[in-house]
Amino acid sequence: MEDYLPNEYDVVVVGTGMTESIVAAAASRIGKKVLHLDSDEYYGGLWATFNFDGLQKWIEDLKVSKSSAKDVSEVDLELEEKFLKTSNEYSTVENIEETWYISNDADLPVVSSKDTQTDSTGDGSGSGDEKSDDDKVEKKENVKQWSIDRIRKEYRKFNIDLAPKLLFARGELVELLISSNIARYAEFRAVSRVATFMDGKLTQVPCSRADVFANKTVSVVEKRMLMQLLTSCMEQGADSPEFDGFRDKTFLEYLNTKNLTPIVQHYVVQAIAMATEKTSCRDGVNRTKHFLNSLGRYGNTPFLWPMYGSGELPQCFCRLCAVFGGVYCLKRQLDGVVIHKNKCKAIISGKQRISLEHLVLGQGHLPPEVVASEGEQRISRGIFITDKSIMQGEKENLTLLYYPPEQPDQEPVTLIELGPSTNACPQGLFMVHMTCKRTTNAKEDLAYVVNKFLKAEPLDPLAIRSSIHSHTQTVSPDKRHIQEGDQDNREESTEESPKPQVLWSLYLNLPASDIKLNESTPSNLHLCSGPDLELDFDFAVNQAKSIFESMYPDKDFLPRAPDPEEIVLEGEEAPGPKFEGDTEAEEKQDVEKAEKED
Amino acid sequence: MDQDVLTVLKLLMIGESNVGKSSILLRFTEDEFHENMQSTVGMDYRTKQVTIDGNTVKLAIWDTAGQERFRTLTPSYYRDGQGAILVYDVTDRVTFMKLETWLNELNTYCNKTDIIKMVVGNKIDLPNREVSTEEGLQFARRHQTLYIESSAKTADGIKCCFEELVQKIIQTPGLWDRHTLINSYGNGNMGGVRHRGQRGIQLADDTQLYNRPSNCYCSLI
Ligand SMILES: Cc1cc2nc3c(=O)[nH]c(=O)nc-3n(C[C@H](O)[C@H](O)[C@H](O)COP(=O)(O)OP(=O)(O)OC[C@H]3O[C@@H](n4cnc5c(N)ncnc54)[C@H](O)[C@@H]3O)c2cc1C
Ligand SMILES: Nc1nc2c(ncn2[C@@H]2O[C@H](COP(=O)(O)OP(=O)(O)O)[C@@H](O)[C@H]2O)c(=O)[nH]1
Ligand SMILES: [Mg+2]
Repeated sequence: MEDYLPNEYDVVVVGTGMTESIVAAAASRIGKKVLHLDSDEYYGGLWATFNFDGLQKWIEDLKVSKSSAKDVSEVDLELEEKFLKTSNEYSTVENIEETWYISNDADLPVVSSKDTQTDSTGDGSGSGDEKSDDDKVEKKENVKQWSIDRIRKEYRKFNIDLAPKLLFARGELVELLISSNIARYAEFRAVSRVATFMDGKLTQVPCSRADVFANKTVSVVEKRMLMQLLTSCMEQGADSPEFDGFRDKTFLEYLNTKNLTPIVQHYVVQAIAMATEKTSCRDGVNRTKHFLNSLGRYGNTPFLWPMYGSGELPQCFCRLCAVFGGVYCLKRQLDGVVIHKNKCKAIISGKQRISLEHLVLGQGHLPPEVVASEGEQRISRGIFITDKSIMQGEKENLTLLYYPPEQPDQEPVTLIELGPSTNACPQGLFMVHMTCKRTTNAKEDLAYVVNKFLKAEPLDPLAIRSSIHSHTQTVSPDKRHIQEGDQDNREESTEESPKPQVLWSLYLNLPASDIKLNESTPSNLHLCSGPDLELDFDFAVNQAKSIFESMYPDKDFLPRAPDPEEIVLEGEEAPGPKFEGDTEAEEKQDVEKAEKED
Repeated sequence: MDQDVLTVLKLLMIGESNVGKSSILLRFTEDEFHENMQSTVGMDYRTKQVTIDGNTVKLAIWDTAGQERFRTLTPSYYRDGQGAILVYDVTDRVTFMKLETWLNELNTYCNKTDIIKMVVGNKIDLPNREVSTEEGLQFARRHQTLYIESSAKTADGIKCCFEELVQKIIQTPGLWDRHTLINSYGNGNMGGVRHRGQRGIQLADDTQLYNRPSNCYCSLI
């Protein structure tokens, strides 16, 4: 049943989260023998992206507690060896709450036979090919309506992230993907707009020159003001004398001395620096700089979204690891680690004892003995499938919104809305991700933002019926169109623009990302944290870099992998191919580095 | 230089370990065969330009990087594949029976529902055959795939395998588009080429194109 693995490696990595996967790739890339395991049957751990069906399975599996049955007595140990059982308690997901706000097909009213015409106008996006009678009935009813069954049926069109993150166009990860040539495994969408909540409504933050010019809310004087401020953040950086008096002050305190108008201050604090009242001046300036630096590289905002979800990215690094000889085995439990004289010597996995030089562990596989603190940066998450954008408009494809707390006991919420063409959900639907620091539980923590932007109440089945009737009884498609338009107008006059209806929601709490290990932890055991609270991947990339550096201080971190054309294939007599590009690529990188430094 | 290339197609090699996937690929792209094929470290995919019915297309053929050994291919491996080559070893019945599982995995992860599949019975040069041509054909018919038998060693059927697959892909509307052209798979992604339309942005080293990290705000003043 259990696959037999070779039992000696330079590096064993357990868990396929972001940090683990980067370390695995980096070690494999410099020729180290790498074994990469995951107890789950999917890649990514808490960084994974699932389709709708996969997510349901994941939720189910969480209910069944995984018990690692292995006991010390069952392990053959040599003299002076110690066995530490690993535990999954540091990757526990809590407070899962899944809710449907729509009905099953069976609960929807049956439509009379008059409706054939409506049916024939079809939506054209027909998903399945099988035309069973069942299907026809459903089609009639659901020309516009989404039901639980329909969402379940189209499960493959969903990509749902446990830990959605964006990339700064000039952030650590983008640069790493390019310099390592791992970028060839991934595709991205540019975030189409950065939104902010101002004067009681959502507006788009101008990010490009065209946007700024087109923006009517900001006066010419204010534009000047904004530019001056941004230039000083950008060109002088946090160490500039400009910020001398504010070393121990907040970013807001600094801005208050600049006589900015409220609008300009709002843009800078909430949209560009994504800062709170507590953000230090230094952090605020750095964050502003980071944002500005990333503008104008791809698309209209500084941010990129990985197509098919954040869970793609660990896989890209795994692929590189495998291409350079790393061995992969999923659904393989780690039972414990063998310690000898303060060095981690081997792992025990099932019947096998696998020896190693370095052990890289995701936080879901730590022996409790090495954990000093469980961390405090816990995460509250909310995921919502909705029927329209929070801010309807032509750039509604991919929106980022930073929403600062309204009350002192609330946490700022990061909202990412994924629309059509991100592959997060089928046409006609949107996927809203909310993330904040946990204070109570996910649902309570996020409630103030959910109530602000979404309509998270069950759809009245009667309302469904009436709206279906208004469609199906209309004979001519033209007329139907007019009628719809009428409806929209009416709605708009009562409320400015109707909030998106939530069809489905999921709340969950992810574990803390700042677990600390004991001082006495063997130095060849390396901890990889789970997803953190920041918007981007920089934390994971930097953690991976520092782990690699401590393992192999003299080696290059993920030098550029050759393109296939650069590999010279040689006969059987010479093992291992040579890479034509290698030296050249390294030289080039040095040049780039030098350029960056000046 | 790629002026006449109609499109770039992504093909996937799948099947059990040791059936000859890498050997088929190597025979096709380099016309080489190694009796003791070691997995080529650093080899990701191979590219080759072929002309079929007057259309020149560039193939990017992806190998498994050994990740098939414990059935741990990443879902992203299957992404955007337009053709799949499912290989078994005609002298090893187990590898033939496992095809069903591979087909399932392909159907689960491949986001193009109309991906063209080619089943290949390999190693026909060997005497100890365990799976007959008839059985192979039957399997292919049942699953509506193309079918061919081959030997990476003698080169029998190899060229044909790729040609038939490509021909079928080209004949399938909606499976490929000319726009894929600007994404020069394997041409190195140098030059900051960007995708438009359905596919996403590919990150590339654009330092030559734009020598300074410019930003829109500052260009105002
Ligand atoms: C590295 C870089 C630096 C930039 N610096 C600035 C700047 O300082 N100030 C500024 O105002 N704008 C800058 N831009 C352009 C900016 O990002 C937007 O593209 C521009 O504002 C037009 O936006 P849009 O939404 O109208 O069009 P978009 O939809 O973004 O693009 C319009 C058309 O131009 C094409 N296009 C744009 N950029 C590229 C590219 N890099 N490669 C291939 N095709 C491309 C697109 O394919 C599209 O067809 C920069 C772009 C890049 C890539
Ligand atoms: N006789 C014979 N041997 C083959 C053929 N194709 C591959 N092999 C051998 O089978 C072994 C496995 O091949 P490989 O390409 O590595 O298989 P993969 O694991 O599917 O990529 C190697 O020793 C090859 O030399 C073939 O057509 N005929
Ligand atoms: Mg192989």
